[in-house]
Amino acid sequence: MKFSRRTATVAAIAGTASLALVLTGCQTGGNEPSSDEPITLTITTFGTMGIDVNYEAYQEEHPNVTIEATNLENGGAARDDAYAKIAAGTGLSDVVAIEEGWLSTIREVSDAFVDLRDYGIEDNKSDWLDWKYAQGTDGDGRVFGAGLDIGPQGLCFRGDLFEAAGLPGDREGFAEAIGGEDATWESFFEFGQKYTAATGKAFYHNPSFFWNSFVNQQDEGYYKADGTTLNVKDNKALQGQLDLIVENANIGAGLPGWGVGDQAKADDFAVYTCPSWMLGVVSGYYDAGTTGTGWDFADVLPGGAANWGGAFLGVSESSEHKEAAADLALWLAAPAQQAAAFEAAGPFPSTIEGQELVGDSVNAFFNDAPVGEIFTNRAKGVVAQVKGPEDSVIQDNVFGPVLDQISQGEITDGAAAWDAAMVLFDQLVKQ
Amino acid sequence: MSTLDARRTGSRLTFRQKLANFDYKASPYLYISPFFLMFAVLGLFPIIYTVNVSLYNWDLLKGQGDFVGLDNYVTTLTDPFFWNAFGNTISIFLLSAVPQLIIATVIAAVLDQAIRASTFWRMSILLPYIAAPVAVAVIFTQIFNQFGGPITGAMEALGLEPIRWGFDPFPSHVAIATMVNWRWTGYNALILLAAMQAIPRDIYESASLDGAGRARRFWSITIPMIRPTMIFVIITSTIGGLQIFTEPKLFDGQSNGGSNRQFQTIVLYLYEMAFPRRDFGRAAATAWILFLIIILVGLINYAISRTIASQDIKRNIRLPKRAAVNANGARR
Repeated sequence: MKFSRRTATVAAIAGTASLALVLTGCQTGGNEPSSDEPITLTITTFGTMGIDVNYEAYQEEHPNVTIEATNLENGGAARDDAYAKIAAGTGLSDVVAIEEGWLSTIREVSDAFVDLRDYGIEDNKSDWLDWKYAQGTDGDGRVFGAGLDIGPQGLCFRGDLFEAAGLPGDREGFAEAIGGEDATWESFFEFGQKYTAATGKAFYHNPSFFWNSFVNQQDEGYYKADGTTLNVKDNKALQGQLDLIVENANIGAGLPGWGVGDQAKADDFAVYTCPSWMLGVVSGYYDAGTTGTGWDFADVLPGGAANWGGAFLGVSESSEHKEAAADLALWLAAPAQQAAAFEAAGPFPSTIEGQELVGDSVNAFFNDAPVGEIFTNRAKGVVAQVKGPEDSVIQDNVFGPVLDQISQGEITDGAAAWDAAMVLFDQLVKQ
Repeated sequence: MSTLDARRTGSRLTFRQKLANFDYKASPYLYISPFFLMFAVLGLFPIIYTVNVSLYNWDLLKGQGDFVGLDNYVTTLTDPFFWNAFGNTISIFLLSAVPQLIIATVIAAVLDQAIRASTFWRMSILLPYIAAPVAVAVIFTQIFNQFGGPITGAMEALGLEPIRWGFDPFPSHVAIATMVNWRWTGYNALILLAAMQAIPRDIYESASLDGAGRARRFWSITIPMIRPTMIFVIITSTIGGLQIFTEPKLFDGQSNGGSNRQFQTIVLYLYEMAFPRRDFGRAAATAWILFLIIILVGLINYAISRTIASQDIKRNIRLPKRAAVNANGARR
């Protein structure tokens, strides 16, 4: 009698060895999906993850499987969708993409997702970066999410506009001009001031991405490393960055963070903070296949390397085809498929082999920038920061409104900005 | 022997007769029961269950926590963001309901006249109502886009300072109210038109013979005689207007009613509590507070609309009972 992985799970839940034997007897053979039984697997993703390019290949390899994919507009929509369905106890698709920003909340209810160890993820544990694998593991050691991409960051910039302004416009020159390896946010904004002074145009579109990047660069972000102690009040580093953003509000375009394609085409701003998955967002502002827009991608981030975002694939416990769904999820998260997604949309592989596969990759939209090599550099030494349960609330509802008011010129004083944020913090976050 | 005869003579009823008796008495209730059964399952149960949820610490994902009594109500009513949402809701409600009713009444009065191709015009005003609210919201969000939308473009071309539709509270309320008006004005006009058509024409004739002009006839006959329908329209507008969600949600999909809650309505506040913030207990409490607010505002509106346009005329003309239109159905 074969003791399958699936039945092992059932046994663990039942909790008694004898019951497990009975169940095994009932289930072996009976519930294992035979390879030719036609099944439909549903998957919910968000934004531009690029993994959809792999669906067809999977269906060719598995002729009995039909993939029904839903792609939601952004991570926030995917979060609300997943929360509602977990709360209802039903409705989650077989495979669900989880964003790093709300991963810590999912971890608290990780039993809504299967333990991927039952489906063999441990055999390939060494594929992943250690910290990525650890992020998808809960307190009991259950692996509820298979790491997909990570978000090492560089800067997307408009070389043509910089050159027209008499500033260095090639990717090495631009990186050097803002300080290269030692680039700071101060030196970055100094460069921007020069650009705006020379052209009269805005340098950046919205300060919130700089803020996100800065927070992610800290050893400890909104929470201490334990993931439960808040680290916002009297945080001099955050306060200093808010001051800096207020001082440089004059070179911002006052635009929203997302959906600024028309303004990009109108040269209304010249830089965009680009974690790997953002490449697809920026190129998505233009028609597919467009090149020569002036956008380029530089191997530099003011303030040092940082990770922003990244996704995981979970298999819902309510799935009727857990075995098949887990097979699909683990296949999609395997190095070769991560590499294919990177080529399609830019999210950088979280597996070491996947990163090697894309090492020589260039991106035609970004002036043939060697994005594979650049992200490999940008990912060096990066470890994702520990996030706490209220991280997205602090990001979106505490600092978000304040940054928006700075961007719109409503707040022009650093101390006032900080005070406004602390009022919101006290109202919104249980301390 | 019929059932009645049997009763009269005092003899025992046969089973058949009992059945017929039961059929006579119970059938009507049986026929209307599907609605009430569905309502009990889909309406009443959730409403009562919401009371239960509102009395606990209730995490969206982790479920029921400790019993906290009325704490969720107290926290909600002392939350400045709740009152901000309340103010926004009332502002958007007034900006939509008032112009909507005035314009709908005027359109109905015009369509009530003998005009060419009246069916065409009547169908046309209903078209916006047929369009899906999401589609309407998406299109209007583009029109009111403060970054490169057509209105901003036109204002810039005229050398005017562009309005920050998405950032300043009042303009955002105007933009959202415009979407609501676009969708509901025609619908309300059609209902009011039906009421106007039910007014006997001979009343207008006698009024003309007595020398009443067009305006006088409108104010003294039309308005008072469509009053019951007007009350219906006002009540449904109140319910719909205070529950407004789709339009402000889609006006900025990244947030729940603006980056700084400039157009966060009560239902969006509820949504933020329930999903991004995961506090189901407070969301449930908010739902009940909203329910009470709607009843209160509905009663106020009912009282006001009873007094308007009915003072001098109702002593002179007997109102026909059939002016009320049998128009039910969910709004929004």
